Amino acid sequence: MELWRYIGNRLLQTVVTLLAVLTLMWGMFRLIPGDPTTIFLGSGELPPDALAALRHSWGLDAPLYQQYLDYLRNLLTGNLGVSFYYRRPVLDVLLPMLWNTILLMGVAMVLATVIGVVVGAYLGWKRGQRIETIGSLLVLIPRSLPIFWIGIMLLMVFAYGLGWFPIGGLRTPAFIPETPLQQLPGYDLAQHMFLPVLTSVIYFLSDPLMIMRTSMLEVIEEDFIMFARARGLHERTVRKMARRNAIGPVLTYLAIMVSFAFGGQVLVEVLFSWPGMGSLMVNSVAQRDYPVAQAAFFLMAIITILLNLLIDVLYVFIDPRVHYG
Amino acid sequence: MSERTGLPPLDPADVPSESRRNILRMMGALGLGSVVAPGVLAGLDASTHAARAAVQPGSPVEPLQFWIPNWPDMIEIARQLGESWKRLGISVQVKQGTLDTWTAEIIGQHQMPHLAAMSWGGAPDRIDPDYFLTEFYNSSRLAKGGMNYGQYDDAKFDAADNKQREEIDDKKRQQLVFEAQAVAAAAHPSLVLFSRNYIQAYNNKRFEGIVPVTGSGIAMPYIPWTYYKMTAKTSRKLVKTTSIYDIHTLNPFATPEVYNSSLLRWIYPTFVIRNEQWDLTPWAAESFKVIDPTTVDVVIRDGMKFHDGKPVTIEDAKFTFDFIDKWKFPSFARVTSTVGSTEIIPPRTLRFHLKQPNAPFVANVLGFTFIAPKHIWENVASAGNLKTPADYPNDDAVGSGPFKLGEWKRGEYLFLKANAEWWMAPKIDGVYWLVVPNLENQMGMMERGDADLLGWYIDRKQGDMLAKSPDLTVVSTPSHGLHEIRMHVTMAPLDDPNLRLALQQATDRQMLLDLVFGGAGVVASNSPIMPINKFWSNPNIPNPAFSIDAARKTLEKAGYGWNANGDLLHPKG
Repeated sequence: MELWRYIGNRLLQTVVTLLAVLTLMWGMFRLIPGDPTTIFLGSGELPPDALAALRHSWGLDAPLYQQYLDYLRNLLTGNLGVSFYYRRPVLDVLLPMLWNTILLMGVAMVLATVIGVVVGAYLGWKRGQRIETIGSLLVLIPRSLPIFWIGIMLLMVFAYGLGWFPIGGLRTPAFIPETPLQQLPGYDLAQHMFLPVLTSVIYFLSDPLMIMRTSMLEVIEEDFIMFARARGLHERTVRKMARRNAIGPVLTYLAIMVSFAFGGQVLVEVLFSWPGMGSLMVNSVAQRDYPVAQAAFFLMAIITILLNLLIDVLYVFIDPRVHYG
Repeated sequence: MSERTGLPPLDPADVPSESRRNILRMMGALGLGSVVAPGVLAGLDASTHAARAAVQPGSPVEPLQFWIPNWPDMIEIARQLGESWKRLGISVQVKQGTLDTWTAEIIGQHQMPHLAAMSWGGAPDRIDPDYFLTEFYNSSRLAKGGMNYGQYDDAKFDAADNKQREEIDDKKRQQLVFEAQAVAAAAHPSLVLFSRNYIQAYNNKRFEGIVPVTGSGIAMPYIPWTYYKMTAKTSRKLVKTTSIYDIHTLNPFATPEVYNSSLLRWIYPTFVIRNEQWDLTPWAAESFKVIDPTTVDVVIRDGMKFHDGKPVTIEDAKFTFDFIDKWKFPSFARVTSTVGSTEIIPPRTLRFHLKQPNAPFVANVLGFTFIAPKHIWENVASAGNLKTPADYPNDDAVGSGPFKLGEWKRGEYLFLKANAEWWMAPKIDGVYWLVVPNLENQMGMMERGDADLLGWYIDRKQGDMLAKSPDLTVVSTPSHGLHEIRMHVTMAPLDDPNLRLALQQATDRQMLLDLVFGGAGVVASNSPIMPINKFWSNPNIPNPAFSIDAARKTLEKAGYGWNANGDLLHPKG
């Protein structure tokens, strides 16, 4: 029951946090100069009265507190509104981009986490040996490079130089498979995904890896490891035990990584012409498309907060030593 | 974001106090600079009259505040002008920001510092001289949201400009347009710099029959003769064009933005179109005739069909204008403000009764409007429970034009299929407009043969690089768009026409053009109508020749002086 009370408390906190995030975002977007009618300025003849009529029909001339209350009320009823820029429901605008991002970043993150955990555990296990020093260095170097630079280098070598991969995009328009390999389902998509995924994996890899390594270093100092060894357990079994005990901090970090991946990879998207959430968020702020911008940032906040909650709860199952109360 | 690049740093004398400056710095670091800095720094919230009143005779001329979009060309231009004008003893403080913030502050709010730079693209409706003259300088555009943010206000200009808009005889109108330009030029309301060329490329092994059009290049969608006329040299008749943008809607009533609306006009053809020499020629119309200054007859082309197979009728044409009138779509303000009513003259004529004579009517109304299928649009609002048909997604756009909608994958591409039933059917099968936000990638795709036309524009160096490939032909096309720096003519010290003239004289346009665009362009005269727009550009108002000496003499004659540091001083009363 302790657990349930804990979850209840956390849910309550979550609601308060979300409300604060919502309010902050709502206010910040309105602090930026201009409003959604800005896209009409300077592009054609739009007399002031037409502009005013448009503001009115979009509810932008209502007092700010009114707009804020309307926004909250709409949100509670699940109405995210209509995009001013795309002139269609916000979800219609958001979901295709969200899917593209999940596709790219999901694959990248799973790969980065799995490789990070396995290699990090290995390096931690080999503490003090030369392979640990070299391995850590090899991981840290790409981490300190800007992600777009990694992407540009990969593009130069594998797309421009060797010509193995396309320069960008999600698919080849009017793609006609020629070789048997190309006839495999998903071939074209996989080809387009390879370089952006690789770029992201290289960039994401070091954090879970180094966290896992550090955590492993702590765990192997503990008595139960020594005890396991004393019992004569196989080295591989002991390492497995240690790994399971060391994985907690990586999971905590996952929540942060997901929120980074969700909105933070605009540069990868632009570099590889990949239409995703990052570009959508940047553009919707530029276009003062409040409904889309708010929904996108809201979604990001929800994902981050819920993931944190989920991981805190999961801890109980992964590490029985953890108790709530 | 608003940090200055390579320009004189903030002068402490201009800011109220050290601590305030630190706060501003901090906000700048937080990316809030563009929100706060301009008003506070320049004291712009104070009225411009107060600014003039505050000028002490014989005191140093205050630094000029200069707002530019954060593009490389603008940053370089601001840097160079800062250097030039330093030789007059004038310093410049540059503020940079994104285009949207610039637009919101300068056009939306008229938060105009001394100078504001902008590059205006060569959209087709800007060919008619009415656009730039009226939007930039007419007093009817002085209100917030209007583009006369330099506050130029001259009854003599208004008189000439208002007359030219109502004069439908081209020759007579030309004289009025010349007069309006001459009146404005004498006041130096703007530093018009040059028009840049659009440098683009196409794959010459795969396609031929490319058509350069001034202001539209060889590959942009505005006046797209390339796509209507090009032929394939191989069996692949699908064209792939790269673009920085994507469209944002398929609804032709919704969009105010020229890139989007131009592409939709491939599906929804306009009544008239400009040909390769910019002459207005019938397109969805078979003919048009100006009966008198407020009556225009348009005969629609016989035998046209919508893409769903239904015939295009004169009722559809009338419906479209009634529909626009009923819903008052903001992007069709030019229609609602000019067209009073329409009537059908059987069998195929639509007669327009205009509210007042309107010289740009054929170019900018008949060249902008189209025939929408009545059977699709008449009920979209009620059926979809929409506030306005502008909110209708129109995902299966049905038009009658030379291209029909193939597929729109948002953020990836727009595919337009050729319509073999159009009276001047394209010789290709279709066009993919690929969204490639990164220009280097566009170039790479051209080099690799992944794209056939580069639909954005590149600079001269990049053009030279592409030209090395034997498969690619690089074409440089002039434009009537312009780089321009508006001056705030009612704000001290720029309320003094002598100072504005001196700035004109101390602006080396050819050098700027050479430096920024490798000389690929045309230097402007003292008018927003570019010399390339031959019929409408007044040939007798060149900009003053570049000469720092002449500029200093102008200032000296007007009573300005210099202190020991070489700073310019206001006239001594």
